Amino acid sequence: MKRALNYTSLYIGFTVLALAYSCKPEIDSFEAQAGEADFTKYVAIGNSLTAGFADGGLYLEGQEVAYPNLIAEQLKQVGGGEFRSPFFSQEQRNGSGYLQLTALVDGQPQTTNVTTNLAYRAENRLAKFTGEIENLGVPGMRLDLAFAPPFGSLNMYFERLLTDTEVNQRTYFDFVSTKNHTFFSFWLGNNDVLGYAMNGAFENPQDPTTTLTSINTFSARYTTFIDKLTENNRKGVVATIPTVTSIPFFNTVTTARLEAGVSASTGGQFTKIYIQTAAGPRQATSEDLFTLRFPTDTLGKTSNGIPGYGLIPQNPLADRFVLDKDEVSEIAARVTAFNDIIKTTANNKNLALADAQAYLNRVKSPGILYNGIGVNASFITGNAFSLDGIHLTPMGNALIANLFIDAINSKYKSRIPKVDATKYRGVKFP
Amino acid sequence: MKRLLLGLMLASPSLLWAQGSQVNTQSQKAVGMSGAGSALFIDEASIFYSPGALSKMDHNAITVGASGVMYRSAFQERGSSDVHNTKFRITPPFAAFATFGPSNSWWKAGLGVYTPFGGSVDWGNEWPGRYELNHLQLRAIFIQPTLSFKITENFGIGGGFVYNFGQVDLSRSLPIAGNDGQPAQAQLTGVGTGMGFNVGVHYHLENEFAISLSYRSKVVTKLRDGDAEFTVPAAVAASFPNTTFDAELPLPASFNLGLAFPVGEKVDIAADATLIGYDIYKELVFDYKDNTPLLQDTRQEKNYENAFSGKVGINYQTTDNLALRAGAGYVYSPVRGPYVSPETPDNNRVMGSVGFTYDINDRWDITGAYVFQHLLERSVTSAATGLSGTYKTNIHAPGLSLTYKW
Repeated sequence: MKRALNYTSLYIGFTVLALAYSCKPEIDSFEAQAGEADFTKYVAIGNSLTAGFADGGLYLEGQEVAYPNLIAEQLKQVGGGEFRSPFFSQEQRNGSGYLQLTALVDGQPQTTNVTTNLAYRAENRLAKFTGEIENLGVPGMRLDLAFAPPFGSLNMYFERLLTDTEVNQRTYFDFVSTKNHTFFSFWLGNNDVLGYAMNGAFENPQDPTTTLTSINTFSARYTTFIDKLTENNRKGVVATIPTVTSIPFFNTVTTARLEAGVSASTGGQFTKIYIQTAAGPRQATSEDLFTLRFPTDTLGKTSNGIPGYGLIPQNPLADRFVLDKDEVSEIAARVTAFNDIIKTTANNKNLALADAQAYLNRVKSPGILYNGIGVNASFITGNAFSLDGIHLTPMGNALIANLFIDAINSKYKSRIPKVDATKYRGVKFP
Repeated sequence: MKRLLLGLMLASPSLLWAQGSQVNTQSQKAVGMSGAGSALFIDEASIFYSPGALSKMDHNAITVGASGVMYRSAFQERGSSDVHNTKFRITPPFAAFATFGPSNSWWKAGLGVYTPFGGSVDWGNEWPGRYELNHLQLRAIFIQPTLSFKITENFGIGGGFVYNFGQVDLSRSLPIAGNDGQPAQAQLTGVGTGMGFNVGVHYHLENEFAISLSYRSKVVTKLRDGDAEFTVPAAVAASFPNTTFDAELPLPASFNLGLAFPVGEKVDIAADATLIGYDIYKELVFDYKDNTPLLQDTRQEKNYENAFSGKVGINYQTTDNLALRAGAGYVYSPVRGPYVSPETPDNNRVMGSVGFTYDINDRWDITGAYVFQHLLERSVTSAATGLSGTYKTNIHAPGLSLTYKW
């Protein structure tokens, strides 16, 4: 009897435990659905951002978390099919090579280039990848050059995706518009201004990637491209071009920081920076931008036989090292014009619009609080931008993926689940 | 570039002792009635529930009991299809009460050692709120010596002094990735002490009606020199020194009214209403001993409101040695939407319970109870972190206690 009682209480005990364990609270408010769109074959058209370029290079870890790949993963819950990318092999996982943070000395980042496990088959030529792909992002791709056959040999990332006979023959436009997609994302146009801006608003006639695309060309090319992609009523999402000045590449080396550095290193003898502009030399102000790659060690050196480079009005910094405020407004105006074209096209073609410009402006100011993480446009610590100050971190990619998903959901009445961006890192610290 | 790293500043850890951490499992008899019964049960657990009733005990007794509190929370981020569950954890709040004094006298002394607040919640480090909380374990142990006096045969008063010993252990991820891509982590552990009191009166009409009023004061637990440990990449280690911290956790006061009356020869009904003074919980401040530009003292708003709970229960004495009971209750949450946090994702809750007491012989009896609490689904956006989504929580608490009488 006593034994039976013991067994009984043991049994009751286990039952209670099992009951409690199985009684997990259930939440089932979210039902994924495709809405009006068909995500069977999603292709992503774009530049380095679409390819997963980060930290100044294209490498496997970045490719894997490119925003289209994160979107495609979510699309699987609403009928999305296979989404393939031109991944580098494990053996060649470091691809083109990339920047790595090695130390912070007095808060100053020290970086080195990763040079192992690269994917070069020759100088400026990467290992080919000619299998079927849906992530069609090509670093450096511009809207104007998407229609230029020679770009296949000029750009090693595009060359990599083409067969030998296609190089110099096939345009990017042709390459991406023959994939029989059912849904597309399109984020091109950044490099049509960025290449120019990064070169200090200086067009190098030898380098077509430094030109500023004209509004007419942009409009014509954009319309042609979208007309083609939307043939047979196919749906998609397009994104606006970020304001150039919203990225850390142009906001980390500031006039104030340069002046403080000059003051400190010359014991107060020099305190100002002088720049060459189209209207002649003048003192730099907070509205003039320097790039992250600005060679600070050239300041004060002798140039053209005159000492004090950049520190005296007689020997100002060369025009192409600075984006002066007139150039900044020229570029801003061009971005606005391009974005007007993008928004009008999206509207006319009934496409979803991911307003990356508005979003990244918000990231820059006032910044975004995402699940306890401060996300802003600060270099290294802002979590959104990688070590090149231009391209996104994995976390930045996840947030952009959510921006696209929101846009698609609101346009096509779909319910694509959002990405948990806390799963993705910002910059890696040693 | 000097202040480059400011963006990584540590956000405020959001430790709190919320409604959800208040587990009233001091007496398994009361647990069987969802917390009602302060006026009904005149026994050693009256030290906690109704100090005025203690003097009415006609014997002495010692009780030891424990519950297995299983806190099951689920979270779904807004717009996501993923549901995240807390890991399965059992917290064992315990209670021990002993009385001393002559039988049938005008006074009675007692000592209670119990855990009125406590809990363990573990979301792990792979959920969307990881930068708010990984895990939290906390416990407050109250030690309460008590004296109770009979003013008349029917009217008793009592009071006790409360000394509190609190323990806390919490961790959260920090958004600083190392070379392996994994986030850094902060771990805070500490112990603290506080003091308060518990007073009450109890009045009954023979076999007809009983009323209990009691007031438990707030107990401000001061954590001193808790350990703050940071697992961060070497490059930022100097900015996150392992240091100590001070913090203050106010445990709220509560005012309780209990009623009991018979509805049959063997059946009693009891009802309790409790007002909990959570509005003292305005903010939570963490004061780190070593501050760096990244590790600053933090201040987080809480802005709790006062909470209220109502409980009713029925006690059925089936035979001379077996009592069965059941109860139900409703608790209003003190936490406003923007301040709901994953430690205890609180909301209004309903609860139901069953219980029994079996008298083994004149000396020994055993009491068991099971209470189930369901926190209503709640969709919130955190003011502190921006985390937006839906929480839902179930709490199971089976418990057992053993009493020896003389």
